[in-house]
Amino acid sequence: MSPTPDLTTPKQPELQALLDATVDAVIIIDSRGIIESFNRSGERLLGFTANEVIGRNVSMLMTDTDRRSHDRYMSRYMTSGVPHIIGIGREVEARRKDGSIFPVFLSVGQIHGADPPRFVGLLHDITLRREAMRAIRHERDRANMYLEMAQVILLALSPDRRVQLINRKGCETLGRREMELLGRDWLEIAVPQDQRDTVLKELSTIASGQSGEERYFEHEVLAADGSRRLVAWRCIALRNAREQLTGYFASGEDITASRQAALEAQQTQQRMTQVSRLATMGEMAAGIAHELNQPLAAIANYANAALRLAVTLEVEKLDKDGDIKLALDQISQQALRAGEIIRRLRALVQNRETHLEPANLNDLVAEVIGFVAGDARLNEVKLLTTYDLALPAAMLDRIQVQQIALNLLRNAIEALVEHRNADREVRIVTSRRDNMLQLEIADNGPGVPSELINRIFDPFCTTKVTGTGLGLAISRTIAEAHHGKLIYERAPQGGARFLLTLPISGERK
Amino acid sequence: MTRTATVFVVDDDDAVRSSLRLLLKSVGLPTVAYASAQEFLAAWHEEQAGCLVLDVRMPGMSGLELQSELNQRGAIIPVIFISGHGDIPMAVEAIQHGAFDFLQKPFRDQDLIDRVQRALASDVEQRKVLLQRETLRQRFDSLTPREQEVLALVTQGKANKVMAGDLGVSQRTVEIHRARVMEKMGAHSLAQLVRMVLELESDPAQDRTI
Repeated sequence: MSPTPDLTTPKQPELQALLDATVDAVIIIDSRGIIESFNRSGERLLGFTANEVIGRNVSMLMTDTDRRSHDRYMSRYMTSGVPHIIGIGREVEARRKDGSIFPVFLSVGQIHGADPPRFVGLLHDITLRREAMRAIRHERDRANMYLEMAQVILLALSPDRRVQLINRKGCETLGRREMELLGRDWLEIAVPQDQRDTVLKELSTIASGQSGEERYFEHEVLAADGSRRLVAWRCIALRNAREQLTGYFASGEDITASRQAALEAQQTQQRMTQVSRLATMGEMAAGIAHELNQPLAAIANYANAALRLAVTLEVEKLDKDGDIKLALDQISQQALRAGEIIRRLRALVQNRETHLEPANLNDLVAEVIGFVAGDARLNEVKLLTTYDLALPAAMLDRIQVQQIALNLLRNAIEALVEHRNADREVRIVTSRRDNMLQLEIADNGPGVPSELINRIFDPFCTTKVTGTGLGLAISRTIAEAHHGKLIYERAPQGGARFLLTLPISGERK
Repeated sequence: MTRTATVFVVDDDDAVRSSLRLLLKSVGLPTVAYASAQEFLAAWHEEQAGCLVLDVRMPGMSGLELQSELNQRGAIIPVIFISGHGDIPMAVEAIQHGAFDFLQKPFRDQDLIDRVQRALASDVEQRKVLLQRETLRQRFDSLTPREQEVLALVTQGKANKVMAGDLGVSQRTVEIHRARVMEKMGAHSLAQLVRMVLELESDPAQDRTI
């Protein structure tokens, strides 16, 4: 390495030392751009020796683009005196002897007192800084991409819960643009009033907890359109080196749909349990029927045998009032009655064919009222009956029609029991309309909630905790099997009113 | 083995069995009860008059299986099924296989007693027919081969003269055979004789041809 030659002006030793020590290339040019001085670092950075560049135009160290701008800047400065680079500095590209290009930060100063003016240029190699910048930018872009691509909500809040960052998923969930959210109080803009306490409590727990400790919680967020989404959050506190809270970072998953699905699956499960319980009931009824019919048959036989023996032994001579005979006869009658109940129970739980026979609707209804009368009395429900005594016999399945009537009456009584009402009444009216019979069962209870009116005949639709939701569904099926109808309407005095119509002939109109 | 008409009860349920025996006894019907189909089969004899009150469902051999076994043995005993299950397909099957009747437990005593009495009457009737048929069979068997040939030709409506030609004997001989046939069969007229032959031919247990 040769000492830096100084062809023009002698330098002070201090200046020379400074020039040699600096890591930047220092180049002095005259007003035409001819290089007058070129220091050691210049040789190192650009690959030229001072001898190779001194006396030549500085543009040899530039790229073609910079060269053109340089000439323009120089001539403009020379004519107008307006600086474009002096005192400001600029990132430009420099060309080495081997032709390779590298980024430099160029600072230019005018050497005062010289005429025509001379300039000193400092080239600082910024290759490393550029690369570092590029790497940082790349990392940032990648992080942003992750943020945007994420299918979870990513949210950063300041310690006072203002939104500092929210990703695309978060914006989508809330139905808002990022700009609407940044800087806003998270609780005010995204959390429904009734959930704010929960969120505050969770955040304060996180703030007071250990650094890096993750907390899970769920709450609803409020979208721009007023709808609510259930979000499951995982949240951590952000802290600085001194462990001071600098904010919160949370990832949230919209679990509205999956929670809904889980809920529905659970409800389906419950329904299936009820259905299978019913099926089991059917099987049990069949099994019980056999097991009970055996002893019932024996009871009836024993009683009847005793009755006949009593006659043979002339017991009536001792039993003047006929009490023994009556008792034995009743034992047998009641055993048969029990057998009949079992038969009906089986018929109720079995899917069976409709068996039409001539029957009077009034009689069937009266019998069913007998079943529920006790229940009604107990709950202070008045059963008001109006029978059309001129009703003709109709072709009906006695048990099935009674099943409908029993269902409607039980529903009416239960509705009244839940409804605190001074005068609880169920009106039961039979009537004839042309070739149809009609049974009306109306109560003065609360009536069917309006949101359920279209669904009350659907299977599994129930308002009762212990209900199966099958009663009305089965009832309507039975009515239709009779070519009849079962409809609901709101009673004029409020309350529920069911109308069952059945063709007298048992046939389609 | 008694010849008195007897009601047989087969039911695995002790109470049902005992109560039925008591009930039937109270109306003066001789009754024997068995707890299983196998016990009944071991004691049963086809000459025994009576009827069978039979439970459908029993462990081991079921009522329907016993019915089928009795049918195979050519038994004529009327069977009244009783069932605590009351299922219709079972009742239909039993009736199709010749059951006399079907009752659901528990039943009215009079319903059972009526059916038992009708079954017993039916049994008596059946046995009378069988007895007549047996008598006829014995009479038929007492005929000589030649007389049996004449009987066949007579019932075909052939005249004595034609029969004589067919058999290669004199008309007088045919007349003697014919008189012997009428006498041995106990027939008073040709019409009665024809009825007897028809009766013999209709016997399902009869595999011999006349």
